Amino acid sequence: MTPLLALSDPLTPVALAHFLITSGGLFVIGLVGFLTRRNMIVMFLCTELMFQAAALAMIAFGAYHLDPSGQVFVIFILTVAAAEAALALGLVVFLYRRRETLSAEAWSELHE
Amino acid sequence: MAEKLWFVIPELILFGGAVIVSVLGLSPRRVIREQLPLITCVFLAIAFIATPIVYSVERVDLATGLLPELGRYVKMSVCLIGVLLAMLSVGLIDRRLEGDLGSGRVPFDALRTSRGEYYAFFLLSLIGVMLCCSANDLIWLFLALELTSLPTYIMVAMSRGSRKAQEASVKYFFLGAMAAAVFLYGFALLYGATGTIELTAMQSIFREQRLAGDLNPVALVGLILAILGVSFKIAAAPMHFYAADVYEGAASSVTAFLGFVPKAAGMIALIALLATVGWGAEGLPQPIVTTLWMMAVLTMTLGNIGALLQRSVKRMLAYSSIAHSGYMLIGIIAGPGLGVNAVLFYLLVYGLMNTGAFGVLAGLERQGQEIETLEDLAGLRQRHPAMAWAMALCAGSLLGFPPLLGFIGKLYLFIAGVEAGQLPLVVIAAINSAISAWYYLMLVGMPILASPSPRSETIVRTPAAWPRVAALLTAIAVVVLPVFAQRLLDGAAQATEGMVDATNEQEPRGG
Amino acid sequence: MIAANAQLDLLTLGAHHATAIPIAQPTTEMGWAGWILWLPLISLIACGLCAAFRVRNKLPAWLTVGFLGSSFLVTLGLYFQYTEPVTIELFRWIDLSLGTGTDAAGFTANFSLYVDQLSLLWMLFVTGLGTLIALYASEYMESDVGAGYARFFAGVSVFLFAMSALVLGDNLLMLYLGWEGVGFASYWLIGYYYTRPSAVAAAKKAFIVNRIGDLGLALGLYLIWRTFGTIEYSELFERLGSGHHATQAGGWSVRAIPYLLMLGAFGKSAQLPLFVWLPDAMEGPTPVSALIHAATMVTAGVYLLARMFPFLALDAAAAPTVAWIGALTALVAATIGMAQYDIKRIMAYSTVSQLGYMFLGIGVLTTFGAAYHVFTHAFFKAVLFLTCGAIMHGFAGQLDLRKLSGLRQLPGWRITSYTMLYGCLCLVGFPYVTSGFFSKDAIMAQAFISGSTGLGLIALVTALLTAYYTFRVWFRVCAGPVKYELGDDHHGPDDGEGHGDHGDQHGHGEPHAPRLAINLVLVLITTGAFLAIFLKPWAREMVMGSTARNAEPHSEGHGFWQDPHKWMPVVASITTIVGIAIAWHFHLANRKAADALRSRLLANPATAWLPVAMENKWYFDEIYHGLIRLPLWIVGHALAFLDRYLVDLVIVDGIARVPRWVGRAFQPLQNGILQSYAVSMAGGVGLVALLVLYMPQVIKLLEGWLGGGGGG
Repeated sequence: MTPLLALSDPLTPVALAHFLITSGGLFVIGLVGFLTRRNMIVMFLCTELMFQAAALAMIAFGAYHLDPSGQVFVIFILTVAAAEAALALGLVVFLYRRRETLSAEAWSELHE
Repeated sequence: MAEKLWFVIPELILFGGAVIVSVLGLSPRRVIREQLPLITCVFLAIAFIATPIVYSVERVDLATGLLPELGRYVKMSVCLIGVLLAMLSVGLIDRRLEGDLGSGRVPFDALRTSRGEYYAFFLLSLIGVMLCCSANDLIWLFLALELTSLPTYIMVAMSRGSRKAQEASVKYFFLGAMAAAVFLYGFALLYGATGTIELTAMQSIFREQRLAGDLNPVALVGLILAILGVSFKIAAAPMHFYAADVYEGAASSVTAFLGFVPKAAGMIALIALLATVGWGAEGLPQPIVTTLWMMAVLTMTLGNIGALLQRSVKRMLAYSSIAHSGYMLIGIIAGPGLGVNAVLFYLLVYGLMNTGAFGVLAGLERQGQEIETLEDLAGLRQRHPAMAWAMALCAGSLLGFPPLLGFIGKLYLFIAGVEAGQLPLVVIAAINSAISAWYYLMLVGMPILASPSPRSETIVRTPAAWPRVAALLTAIAVVVLPVFAQRLLDGAAQATEGMVDATNEQEPRGG
Repeated sequence: MIAANAQLDLLTLGAHHATAIPIAQPTTEMGWAGWILWLPLISLIACGLCAAFRVRNKLPAWLTVGFLGSSFLVTLGLYFQYTEPVTIELFRWIDLSLGTGTDAAGFTANFSLYVDQLSLLWMLFVTGLGTLIALYASEYMESDVGAGYARFFAGVSVFLFAMSALVLGDNLLMLYLGWEGVGFASYWLIGYYYTRPSAVAAAKKAFIVNRIGDLGLALGLYLIWRTFGTIEYSELFERLGSGHHATQAGGWSVRAIPYLLMLGAFGKSAQLPLFVWLPDAMEGPTPVSALIHAATMVTAGVYLLARMFPFLALDAAAAPTVAWIGALTALVAATIGMAQYDIKRIMAYSTVSQLGYMFLGIGVLTTFGAAYHVFTHAFFKAVLFLTCGAIMHGFAGQLDLRKLSGLRQLPGWRITSYTMLYGCLCLVGFPYVTSGFFSKDAIMAQAFISGSTGLGLIALVTALLTAYYTFRVWFRVCAGPVKYELGDDHHGPDDGEGHGDHGDQHGHGEPHAPRLAINLVLVLITTGAFLAIFLKPWAREMVMGSTARNAEPHSEGHGFWQDPHKWMPVVASITTIVGIAIAWHFHLANRKAADALRSRLLANPATAWLPVAMENKWYFDEIYHGLIRLPLWIVGHALAFLDRYLVDLVIVDGIARVPRWVGRAFQPLQNGILQSYAVSMAGGVGLVALLVLYMPQVIKLLEGWLGGGGGG
């Protein structure tokens, strides 16, 4: 099969490492943000950040392997992320109407 | 491409069903809205019938992929349990709104109804599980998993009006999103380590890597992240924390859904992911075995001891659901042949027992509220004998009491574990089974033997009879199906046939 | 000496007599035999439907009698068609093949029947008696028509299905299925009046004590599978015969097999130390359910050991252990039976005692004696329980032998009294006219030959005690002057409704005599008990054609006093008659003499203390109360104390608490806050990822700690 996106030459391992460090950094920032922020919208943005970290890694690997499927994957990640965003915003609005707050801690009635 | 589409015909049928119910749900006529569960069941039945036709012998032979035969068993099981789950949710959604509409207190407003959407999401989520078993690349797997999960987040939120349901939905959605990010990152690393997203290609690359030496560490970490992320779906430790709260918060019929559908998707995804490294001659790589081992032990132990402390029936069943994932992980570790067959068999078994137990909870209520504590079940036998026996049988089966269905399921898992040389794991599972007897016997004994408490006196049947019918059907199945255990297991064995070949290409499995 | 020789013979049985064990061959014909199992199942469904549609007549009883009777007829048909041991596959059930090549092993447990003489012998009396019990219960349970009637007969059907699966199954898993099934059915039937706390407690006790035995059976089953690689009887005996187990690295795990099977058998058949549940099961409301336990269910343990008899040879001490436990159980239960007043409880203890005889028989290698005693016991104990039931039914629950007297002179009670007399005669083994005499002698004589003198003497002493306590009941209840008090039991909640013309008699303090169904069944079973005398050669042939086949060791001498089989009938007859005479003296003849003496002594102030002392100690019972019940009471309370504080608090609660403590330790993690869950999950992921990345280092570290031991 002919690659849809022709890449002239593969990423060097060093360049790949740069991309991966950035991607890993994004993921960790997203994770830490998710764990520490209380605002549900910010928390959701943090999960988006983690998704995009994965997407970045995909693109970098795709370029490294001279394989287009990584980039194809990213398109799907973006689509799913958009669906999740719609869901998240709908949910947050719904919850805000109920409680007048965006704090995730307001929702802790269910526990042991 | 065409033959791949051929195999998703059952999914396409359900998709058609999803479109139709979502449109019909907007109908101003009450009669039509009330037929939605029936329509859902009809489409599930059509898909059920279509599946063996689609998976005819000559077609399957042409199929490529990691698990060419898996679809027949999984799709038929999913449709079967889907029908029961649809029966469970009859009369649940929009109950107050429909009441108001019926009494003419409010005019009909298509924007305010959500029954149609609920059943559409219901079907979409089932489509997700079914797509999981045709997955031959990471994109497909990712999309199928997300398709399973996203509708469930909404179903939890709309399942009932109470705050608890919304809280459950918040927790489920955010933690689910985090888990999705984790396994997505794992997928990215897997792609990076192999340069392909196709699972079969990945399998041959891994085989070469292992022949040459050890597995690429990037691939290893990717696999671990993917496994851990996916284990959110099956509520396995350490990703199980959400389960108790979410299961408690959602309405019983949705909880039953959560107990089976995402679990099935997660298990199938786990099998597919692990099949890439293969159990083969050398077995799974040691770090993965260790990880799965610890996950299994932690999952069943935390699940069972968590359940011990509960007075809330739903929380108890939630923890039991966690524990059962732990048992199933034994089969995953044991690998193709007995292990995976036992897992597939147990998925069906667990789906039935779980649906039955939640069906009892969904079929009874007190002043419009769900059954909460064990005391509510006390002496149920006197006022609702059928439900009491259904609960007792399903709980007995969950416990694995011979000769009920759950016993056979557990027996297969344990035999698979012993055969794979995982005796310590099986012993731990047996101890866990003994611990679980403590709380399951309460679920058996409370409805049958205890005398009614003032709380349980006020329990009445819900207006819709279908949840109770579903509970009774599963109770009967739990008693009758052990007789056909071999036939079901043969089905599960057939589902993994292609898979055994793939991993056995070089050498038969050792031990 | 003799005993040692016998032991040797048993030990070599596996190697030398291997070909002598008749092993069943599969057959494709005779699939209709499956109806023996399906008919009770259909009966269960029919009863369930009756309950669902709230049938308010005796339909469930007639359905059950019909289906169970047909099952009996099928069994008879199978018996007449029978030529050689066969296995009949009904359908594939569990069939796993494991491993490949030379390692090939399997776990096969199909839904198949193993038909040989032993299972036929058992099935004939299980289905036959089961049908008669159902017929009897149709009248006995009539006060519950419309209420629990269908439920009761559903329970009986479950019981018969499970018992048939237990006996006819061609593998140990089916036996286990039936084993648990009869346990469940007995739980169902003991707890029939679930509103009575005592019935519920008894049901629980039976269930829990049986679990202990079942654990043994399950472990035994597992070890057998590990050792022999199969649990199907025909394969199993073949491999045992070929010395398959010797090639396995067996050791203790092979030798443990007979003991684990024993534990299972002792639990189900109420032997020391697990016999406590059976007398309590009699607290259950109906003698009919008691009968199911006494006459049929409890023989499951004997069946297990008879079926697996060659496995007793796996350890030298196994057979003597069975013999001693059986003998001691027989003795202890007999002594307890002497001090009871409740006739149903006395029968319960006598059942335990007679089961002891059966195990003694197996232990001293006379499988024929044991099986024959099972067979005769099933009949005469059925008679005894049915008469007890008739009395309980007629006298509104009165079972106290001090409050019943002279029943045989009451109109309508003649059949009951005399069938009971014959039942008692069988139970004590009255010489030559009772079947119990022949079956018991076969065991007792063999005890002297292949057991030891001690075992034989215990058996003889027990026979004496049996004669005494059995006739204490009959002389008290059936003989003597007519005198009775009605009990206060009104047969369930809706008394009077289902009684028809008998309903009014309750209010007037009149007992109502048994009617057709009960009398018919009594006469039939009594006849059966008598005819069993002539079935001795037949029973021997039946046992010898099965896997329980065993050449009983013979005595060395041939003179009269050298061969216990020759002198035992005489000695046993004398023992029995002495026992009956003692009972006659204290419970029939001197009952009146005692009263006369008492009034004479009371008239004289100088001797007035004597009757007062006699008041408490006149009857033998009271003496026994002092001698036996008191120590038992002390031991019982000590045990109860231990049970409450050591077992319950320390062991049971302790074990139960550990998971709770662990659970509590983890509970703070479930604090309901979304982000703390997220932290736990992310932490878990991180830990696992780190562990995997640094696994080689971790393993090295562990190896260092453990001094080169394995890790990871």
